This record gives sequence, C-alpha cells and structure tokens, in this order.
Amino acid sequence: MIKTLVSLNADLASSIALRYICQMASMVDMDIRTIHVEEADAEGNPPGTGWVRRTWEKGLLGTAEAEISQLINAERASCPTLSSPKMIVGEHEAEILRELEEGSYDLLVEGILLSFDTSHFENRMRSKLYKKMDCPLLLVKNLVALNRIALVIDDHTDLPSLVSVFSKLFEGAQLKFDLLHMILQKPGRLSFKKDAQDAASPVSGKKSSILTKTNNMLTEAGRPPSEVKTMRDVPSGIADSLQDYGLVMACLTRQPARKSPMLEVLSRVPSAVLLCWQ
Amino acid sequence: MRILIAVDEKPYSAHAVREVARLAANTWANVTLLGVHATIPTSGPAAREWTVNDPLPKAVRELRETFLQHFKEEECPYLQREFGYELIEVTKGVWEELYVAKTARKDLKAKIRIGNPIKEILAEAQEEESDLIVLGCDQARDCTWEDSRILPQKIVNDAPCSVLVAKEEKQVNKIVCCLDHDLVSQQSLEMINQLVTLYKAKLVIIGLTEGEELKVEVEKKMDAILRYYTARDIEPWVEIVELSSLGAFITQEAKWGLMALWMGKKSILEKVFPKGKVDKLIKGSESSVLILR
Repeated sequence: MIKTLVSLNADLASSIALRYICQMASMVDMDIRTIHVEEADAEGNPPGTGWVRRTWEKGLLGTAEAEISQLINAERASCPTLSSPKMIVGEHEAEILRELEEGSYDLLVEGILLSFDTSHFENRMRSKLYKKMDCPLLLVKNLVALNRIALVIDDHTDLPSLVSVFSKLFEGAQLKFDLLHMILQKPGRLSFKKDAQDAASPVSGKKSSILTKTNNMLTEAGRPPSEVKTMRDVPSGIADSLQDYGLVMACLTRQPARKSPMLEVLSRVPSAVLLCWQ
Repeated sequence: MRILIAVDEKPYSAHAVREVARLAANTWANVTLLGVHATIPTSGPAAREWTVNDPLPKAVRELRETFLQHFKEEECPYLQREFGYELIEVTKGVWEELYVAKTARKDLKAKIRIGNPIKEILAEAQEEESDLIVLGCDQARDCTWEDSRILPQKIVNDAPCSVLVAKEEKQVNKIVCCLDHDLVSQQSLEMINQLVTLYKAKLVIIGLTEGEELKVEVEKKMDAILRYYTARDIEPWVEIVELSSLGAFITQEAKWGLMALWMGKKSILEKVFPKGKVDKLIKGSESSVLILR
C-alpha cells in the first residue's frame, strides 16, 4: 500500500489534486492522509507558549479547518477512505517535511495550477521542501482521466531510480504506460518514432540504447511498456504531444538548472507530473 | 436559444451558416438569417424585379437551403408540416379524426433589412432578443466583410449579446475560454458545452490574473465551472495566464481553433480589449473568436 500525503489548502489547486488522487486510489492501492499547514505569518508572529499559544493556534485554525473539511467532505462520496485532515500551524515547507519524515510516506501530492508563465512551476521546483524531501512528488495541475502514463527519459535520466519508483508506486495496477525518449530539436516538426525505426536512424545511436536499456529494465521488473517512442521537438512541442496522457513521470535533479529542458517540458505539461529525484 | 446569423453573398457567410446548422442540430435553437441591403429601388420595374434578381435575396434563399440540408427531413425541426387528418383522443375514451396542421417546432427565418448593415444587424438582435450573433469573415482580408470592412469588429464591440466570429474552415480542436470575473451566465456555460460537444474539442478554462494569484472569487467560479463540466463528462483543463502575457498566449493558442472571452462590466478584459483593440484580436487571431456576454 502506498502511504500518500496530500497537502491541502482551501483553493482550486488543492481541490483538483484531491479529486485526482481519489481517482488514482481507485487504481492503485493507497492509504491517503491529508494535511493543512496554516502559515502563522499571515496572522503575525505566534504569541508566547503554553495555553496562550494553543488558544491562538486554535483560533487561527478555526476558519481553515472548516474550509478544508468542506473540501474533503465534497470528495468523500467518491473517495470514502479520506480521513479528517491533520491541521498544523507553522511554516508550510518545514511542517510538511517533518510530517513526511515522521510518517515515512511513499508519496507527497500537491496541487499546482498550470500556468502559461513557466517560471511559476520552475520556482516551485526550487523550493526548500522539494530539495530536501526523499519520497517522490506528484504535482497535479489538472483533473484528467488517468488513462495512460508517459514515462519520459532524456540522456541524463537516472534510469534505476525511475524504474524502481515507477515499479513500486504502480505495483499491481492495471495501467497502460508508454516509454518516451525526449530529444530536443530546433523548431520544426514533431516526430514520434518507434524504437525499431529509431535504431535505423543515423542520429539514434546512443538514444536507442537508452531506450532499449530502460525497456529491458522495465520488462525485467515485470512492467513492459505498451509503446516505446522517441520524441524530437522543442520543449513546447514535446509538452503538446504529452497532453493526452493522464500522468507524466520523469526524474529531475533536486536543483534543476534554469534552462533544464526536462524542467521546461514538465512545466508546460497540462496533466499531472510525477517526479522522482536523482 | 435564439441565434442570429448575419450574412452576405460571400463564401465566408456560407461557412458561418454551416457552423450554426451544426450547433442548431444539437440545441434546436430558433434561427434567423439576416442579410442587409444598403438601398433598394422603391418604384418602377426595378423595384418589382428586386426580390427575384438581386444577389442578396438570392444568397439568403440559398443559405436557408444550405442550413436545411444539414438536417434529415424527418428530423428537421424547422420544416413546416402538411395539414391532414389525425385520430386524436378528445375526451377520455372518445377519439375523433381531426384536421390538424403541424407547424415547425422551431423558427427558421430568412430576413432582409434595408439600411446600414451594422445598425440593422444590431437592431435585429435587439428586437429579436438574440442570444448569439454569428458571422463569418474574409480571413484573407484581415477578417473583414466585402462591403463593410469594419462590420465584424463593430458587431463584436456593440452587440448586446454574445458574438461568434467563425473563421472559415478552421478546425476547432480546442476551445479556450478566458475568465477574469465571477459573473458567468448559465446560458454561456451551456453554449460552451454545446460547442465542445459539437466540435469534440478539448475545453480549457483560463483564469486571468493581474499578479501571480487568481482573485478568490474567480478561483471559486473556476472551481464551480470545473465541477459543472465534469458532471457533464467534459474534462476541462484549467490554466492561469497573467494579463501581461495574454497577447502572447492568444497568439500561441490560436492554432487550436476557438478563443472565447467572457466579457462583462466587471471584466478586466474590457480594459485589455477596449473597443479599439477588439478588432486587433479579431483580425490577429487565426482562431474563431467567441465573445460571451
């Protein structure tokens, strides 16, 4: 069972994330816990200690608790296993990190609205929380049907990490997935090539071997992909070609460079993004 | 729903009529085809000949046929039925063969008005309480009309109701709806619903922001819209776009097919697209444009 922590706020992004993870829980064996961290800064610095502080925190959480409960109650009909949220006052990233460590979670889920300005996503990826957390991260941008998963690799992907995380999270799940090798190109036509054709291509050499290697690793792990393809395009074109997938999974470095092509593609993908760290 | 199609004799008008026919097949809307003639001879043989030989009445008549061709005769809600006898139960247990006339279930009017085309189209929309005006335009000439270059832009600016400028032969794969306020009518939601179904297109709801964050009321409205469409088996995407990037966004998204803007008194879109700038949007965008009011 995948122990999952869903970080919630009373907003649209969280509402979407909650609905998406409930959908996923119908396909993957999951134990979903929810948490809301009320930032103290919004109401000033916490006063004193003991009952004074507890009373202050209780007051602070009052409104938020009602809003978050409303969010969860709205989804309970379709997701009966949802429990009451854990409510904490504190600094968001530090509290989530603490909860992840104490609870030994397998997955953190957060909502983030798709933005035309890719810097929103890129800045989020540089957060302290994401730099320090151990488990994979699922960022839900839209409520889409989890019909097919795209496993995206590039020449820098840590393949063992990707295969290991994917196999663990989707063990036993009957979900179709494709293995896609991303090769950036200057503006031009998108080309999807199946690996057999790619092997015959004069530019394929190394790329083909990466695909073959990953394909073999997945097959050995008992998860052979439905299709194996190479995508050649600019980042926005690759993101467009990924828009029909319900989930896009990739590995990222913890401090991705501002011009990381993988980061740019993931920032433009409209569906949910599942990240493992390398 | 009551749709007014503003037409002239050019091919782009035939395209607009075909698009409305597809929409009407789903919605069973009341439809009016309207051509506007600047002047007509009022006396003499020329006046008598006008109705038959003038290109505009002929075009309107042909466009009416184009519209009706979209429907199978037995299913067409716009056809007048014949008179005939029918056995009807007049009181309990008593039946009588009555001579009945079945009229068309929905209106399809073909009209011609005389005067300034812009004024007459707007007047017709006002008098008929149209919910939507649809018109085509010549894309090769910056989305203009042959005899009145500014007509599409003026109608978009001044119409009291929603307006769809249907670009010729543009495949609609994605309907992108921009929202920056919370006053969205049920009718406009339903109209988008019909268009999504009609084109089998992807729906994207865009929340416009003036900073990084959406206004709370806009976010709540987007959530409500998302739930509304999800309950109807439509899976819209949501995306946020800063107003400062709206131009670039529209240019990028125009390739997909249809751009819809929810305009309103509280809308910042009214600031971004004041009357002088809407024509830029209509001309500049390769996609069809729907202004929702």
